[in-house]
Amino acid sequence: MSTRNAMNRLGPLLTIGFALTLVACGGGSGSGDKMAADPSGSGTADGSAVLRVNGSTTVNPVVTKAAEILHAERGMNITVDTQGGSSGGIAALGEGRVEVAMSSRPVIDHDHTTYPKVDFRPVRIGADAVALAVNKDVWDGGVHALSRQQTQAIYEGKVDNWSAVGGPDEPIVFYDKEPGRGTWEVFAHWAYGNPDDAPLVSHLEIGSNEEGRTKVSSTPGAITQLSFAWTDRKTVFPLAVVTDEGQTVAPTPATVADGSYPISRQLLVITDGAPSPAAKELIDFLLSPRGQQVVRDAGYVPLAAEKGVAATGETAAAGTGAAAASAPAAGS
Amino acid sequence: MSAAPGGSVEAGGSIEVGTASPRAWLVGPRRRLGGARRDPLRWMSFASCALAAAFLAGLLGLLLVQSLPVWRHEGIAGYLLGGRWFYRADTFGVLPMIYGTAVVSAVALVLAVPLGVGAAVFASEVLPPRPRLALKTAVELLAGVPSVVYGLLGVLLLRPWIYRLLGPFDPLSGDTLLTGGVLLAVMVLPTVTTFSEDALRGVPAAQRRAARGLGLSRAATALRVVLPQALPGLVAAILLALGRALGETIAVFLVIGRRDNQLPEHWLSAEPLVRSTHAGQTLTTKLGGSETFLAWGDPLHWAAIAGLGLVLLALVGGVTMVGAVLVRRSGGKGGFHAARR
Repeated sequence: MSTRNAMNRLGPLLTIGFALTLVACGGGSGSGDKMAADPSGSGTADGSAVLRVNGSTTVNPVVTKAAEILHAERGMNITVDTQGGSSGGIAALGEGRVEVAMSSRPVIDHDHTTYPKVDFRPVRIGADAVALAVNKDVWDGGVHALSRQQTQAIYEGKVDNWSAVGGPDEPIVFYDKEPGRGTWEVFAHWAYGNPDDAPLVSHLEIGSNEEGRTKVSSTPGAITQLSFAWTDRKTVFPLAVVTDEGQTVAPTPATVADGSYPISRQLLVITDGAPSPAAKELIDFLLSPRGQQVVRDAGYVPLAAEKGVAATGETAAAGTGAAAASAPAAGS
Repeated sequence: MSAAPGGSVEAGGSIEVGTASPRAWLVGPRRRLGGARRDPLRWMSFASCALAAAFLAGLLGLLLVQSLPVWRHEGIAGYLLGGRWFYRADTFGVLPMIYGTAVVSAVALVLAVPLGVGAAVFASEVLPPRPRLALKTAVELLAGVPSVVYGLLGVLLLRPWIYRLLGPFDPLSGDTLLTGGVLLAVMVLPTVTTFSEDALRGVPAAQRRAARGLGLSRAATALRVVLPQALPGLVAAILLALGRALGETIAVFLVIGRRDNQLPEHWLSAEPLVRSTHAGQTLTTKLGGSETFLAWGDPLHWAAIAGLGLVLLALVGGVTMVGAVLVRRSGGKGGFHAARR
């Protein structure tokens, strides 16, 4: 009898316990985004060497997926690691520890002086762009572009009405992308140079792109940072950016792809000189229509967009996509 | 001395303690355990109870150990009563989230309890058996709808509705604590209704017949005879609903603003309820957010997240235990355990 009573009283506690354990497990899985497509990590039976890749966590999901496909279909062995992010990847390439580096930043002068003998050859495989997306009433009210200074003032709460930036007399509702999201990182890079320098402010928060689009489209005066592919110009409208040089650049597939739209970063894979046969096979796959679909599936802007194909379109223009993609990245 | 083996185990034990030497006192419990081992029902139920208790203790211990760094860093009062949470500045205070949890749950109960108990009285005291069963089935189906469905309906319907409703208060958007509370009220309504109805049905029919026989109206019978007797069960139903409200995550996550560091200027201020710029979030929405993933790998940040779990567990556990004690003290028939069926 006493046993039964105790069980009854413990029941609700245990239910909560299970829920908390699940949450805790969810937290653990977040650390597991390093992934080797080749579990054995050694040379292969058919004699082909292992292709080693290291670098950016942003580019990682695309290359890892490509490595899985190439392993399954062609028996290629590709190890993908993310030690040190973009800079770690470039350093590993410079020191000859990997054949391919992944990077979400361009190769800079510092890299050339550190590794003078290395012939860095970046190939652009796509872009990650963030739009400042606003509700229809803000767009219709005349706000079509923001400068970095204006965006900072809004983010820090110094400007809280759209009338201060040429819009309607309406309070600004800022939905902040939750911390840790790549979208937030790209935004913070652009607005403050470095995510660590972003001010400590608290906003209404949103997580996924779906949530962002739904909430901004249903809230008058709303603005958020939204992955470029999700701005449909029907329910949410991407603002243009007034660059520090005074140019107004609207986020379009073309400006994102050529890098002139500033709240973006290029997704690069880099080789030392001409790629090895295995590296070439990986890069060719990434630039193929199927590879570009992987880029799109990961939430990024594929190169096909450069030819004017809408980023949200269902079908990539397969033939033109490959042609456009084969051009190496501009030296930016 | 040699008590009959078939006798009551407790009685046998107490006899030995009372009469034998201290050494023989040890025999008592051992014999009791031996008896338990021989009885498969007792043995198995004891094992599952022990497992359940060990699980809870392990969970508490794990959360406590994992959260130790943050208690050291902020101090117990600093962590529990701190109003600022900036993980990039290693500042962790959970009071705004405790406040958000309390407000949202209170709103949910204020709305759901009168409705739910009212519906239960109607179902139990007025409806004939067949419609009553249909109603109860429908209500229990509602209880089985996944939270995320409620959450999505909340995003699509409730947020805009609350926004229009609060128009005069300049809410800025529909992401307020009121939105979370109203959504939770809808979600806990089936819990309140079905367990209240169980409690009311637990009052013997003879009581009703006697009351009617004494000339009491149907309303008087329900209010003066049935309701008071079912009170412990009703309290249990409400506490169960509160437990669900405290722990609910995803639905609230979707409609609440999830804005950090929001404490009202006055404790009874209505601003967090009606203005999304002042609405905070709950313990569960913080735990359900992306910070849980970010925190892994940073011991202090992770400790702060584990501490949230500990606080939540303590809150829910406290509510449940208070409920159990209250019910036991009022000594009701058909009380807490009947309601939990």
